[in-house]
Amino acid sequence: MTATAARPTARHRGGLGLAAALAVSLLALGAACAASILLGSRAITAGGALTPTELTVLFDMRVPRTVLGLLIGAALAVSGALLQGVARNPLADPGVLGINSGAALAVVAAVTVAGSGAVGAAVWFAFLGAGVATVTVYGIASFGREGATPTKLALAGVVVTAAASSLTSAIVLMNVDALNELRFWQVGALAGRYWPVIGQLWPFLVGGLVVAMLAARPLNALALGDDLARSLGTRVRLTRGVLFAIVAVLCGAATAACGPIAFVGLMVPHLARLLAGPDYRWILPFSLVLGPTLLLACDVLGRMVIAPAEVQVGVIVGIVGAPVFVALVRMRRSVEL
Amino acid sequence: MPARRLTALAAAAAAALALAGCSSPAADAESGEVAWSYVSGDGTTYTADHVPQRIIAHAYAAKVLMEFGITPVGIYADGDLDSDVGLQGVDFEGIEVLGEEWGKIDVEKAASLQPDLIVGDWWPVEEAYSGLESGVEESSTKLAELAPVVGAAQGDSIVDLIEGYAELAESLGADTAVIDAQRAEFDGAVAAFQEAVAGKPGLTALAISPYDDSYAIAVPEYAPELLDLRSWGLDVIVPSEPDPDFPYWQTLSFENADAYQPDVLLFDDRNHPANEQTLADQPISSQIAAFAAGQTTTWPAYWLHTYPDYTAQLQSLTAFVEGANPDIVVE
Repeated sequence: MTATAARPTARHRGGLGLAAALAVSLLALGAACAASILLGSRAITAGGALTPTELTVLFDMRVPRTVLGLLIGAALAVSGALLQGVARNPLADPGVLGINSGAALAVVAAVTVAGSGAVGAAVWFAFLGAGVATVTVYGIASFGREGATPTKLALAGVVVTAAASSLTSAIVLMNVDALNELRFWQVGALAGRYWPVIGQLWPFLVGGLVVAMLAARPLNALALGDDLARSLGTRVRLTRGVLFAIVAVLCGAATAACGPIAFVGLMVPHLARLLAGPDYRWILPFSLVLGPTLLLACDVLGRMVIAPAEVQVGVIVGIVGAPVFVALVRMRRSVEL
Repeated sequence: MPARRLTALAAAAAAALALAGCSSPAADAESGEVAWSYVSGDGTTYTADHVPQRIIAHAYAAKVLMEFGITPVGIYADGDLDSDVGLQGVDFEGIEVLGEEWGKIDVEKAASLQPDLIVGDWWPVEEAYSGLESGVEESSTKLAELAPVVGAAQGDSIVDLIEGYAELAESLGADTAVIDAQRAEFDGAVAAFQEAVAGKPGLTALAISPYDDSYAIAVPEYAPELLDLRSWGLDVIVPSEPDPDFPYWQTLSFENADAYQPDVLLFDDRNHPANEQTLADQPISSQIAAFAAGQTTTWPAYWLHTYPDYTAQLQSLTAFVEGANPDIVVE
């Protein structure tokens, strides 16, 4: 036995060790779910009969909020992992693709054209905007002989983000109603999103996650570089297009439901890579579990810090996420794809 | 372009000097004549040897001056003129619009109007007139260099604010009969409101503005119209812990939205009915007795400036109170 084998790193950890790590992660997720239901800006005393209001808070507000946190956390983290693999860019996240800005533009444009009557349909407009932005980015990046290379994807994303943001600003300056509606799209939040929102979007979120879990092999092939992947029989363009579509569905639905929540899609895949190594067969399940854990933990924190008011989860994720992300980036190994 | 700008500024500056130079008692002694004087919201007495004619006003101030018969030559607003609930029914036709966004005033255009008076509310807490508060674009603050800035003070009562503008309008030549008639009708509305409230002992009200994921409760201390309603007998609940950084509100999460249980919910009318729908979407709204009973109406939030507006709002509130059940919440 060599010295290297005696001190296994994450990359060389055996399947058993990974399964154990995944089990621990699942336990953490369970704890986060429990906390999300039991803790909040309103203290609910254990013991004794619950009042009708407490029952409402627990079952009609915190339970759907937790379910939404599970779905959104998973969708953001898994789509982040897919995106980093597809774009072969360790800093890729939904923001880079213009998904958030596309969603915001669509909502603001809809409110402007249709008046406040469009607010009820905001989720669908956001979904549409996110989808159009993603397709546009991919379309622009696909021009030329090599197709959508990682560099072209990033550049196209920056261009679409800038264009959509400028248009949004222009509309908002002219329309007060749009401004009011936009407030929600500036900071992501789980609060106030209940069964109706989940009911509209769960098929996209669950369906997207299921398909994403099948994407490990093609992602592993793409990680080797386009030429090597091609020589191994992967149809690079097609694969990249399909994976991109899954990202669009997941990110679009997540953004439509909760507004832009940064860092989860950026950070969790790195954490997963740190724990699981470079194999997407492990990175994806770890992302699936760690994403909601992080999001729910941050949401619970946001409910506690300024109770009886709350801080949106998008703010907390940013505050917690930034230093953690810097720390992760400094561990160079985790950033290598 | 620069030449035109210079000319306009110079002309306006000359007009400003004519007024500002005379705004001290010493000027009276020299000229021996004061054609115009006004005690402004900031406590200063402004005087001039001619009555100001060319007025630029903040849109809310313009509305009340116009009610009293004084029409400005230019206005600036904090937002879109058409959608502002406080500016409904005003005909600004023929008046130059110098801005429709808070903090942004086209001072070059303002200068070209050669104003001899600028009018806006005085905000005692911020020690500034409307449009010149801290945080506005620096170019906008140059407005104050064109002419003296005056206006009634935002204080403990909208009535005081309107009366401040009545005095200004009178000093500018308004017909006092118009003002007296509006005041008389308003006094009648106040009396009817007081009577309606007296007829509903124990009726409590909470002024709220639900938005996004928050339940914001207005703090009457910073909402003069709510202080007025309290002074006329309506028990508007005072929230116990205003937000430390912005004490106009106490913000609660929706989980705590049942913390205060009034008989009546007053929704911020600037964002109504969207804000009522926001609350309706929250499962906890069924636990707020007044909401569950449908006992809700709106309150004129932070925009009242005229007697006719106030009279109409009071009449509507009076009718609501007369039909309200004061026993929604049983203590």
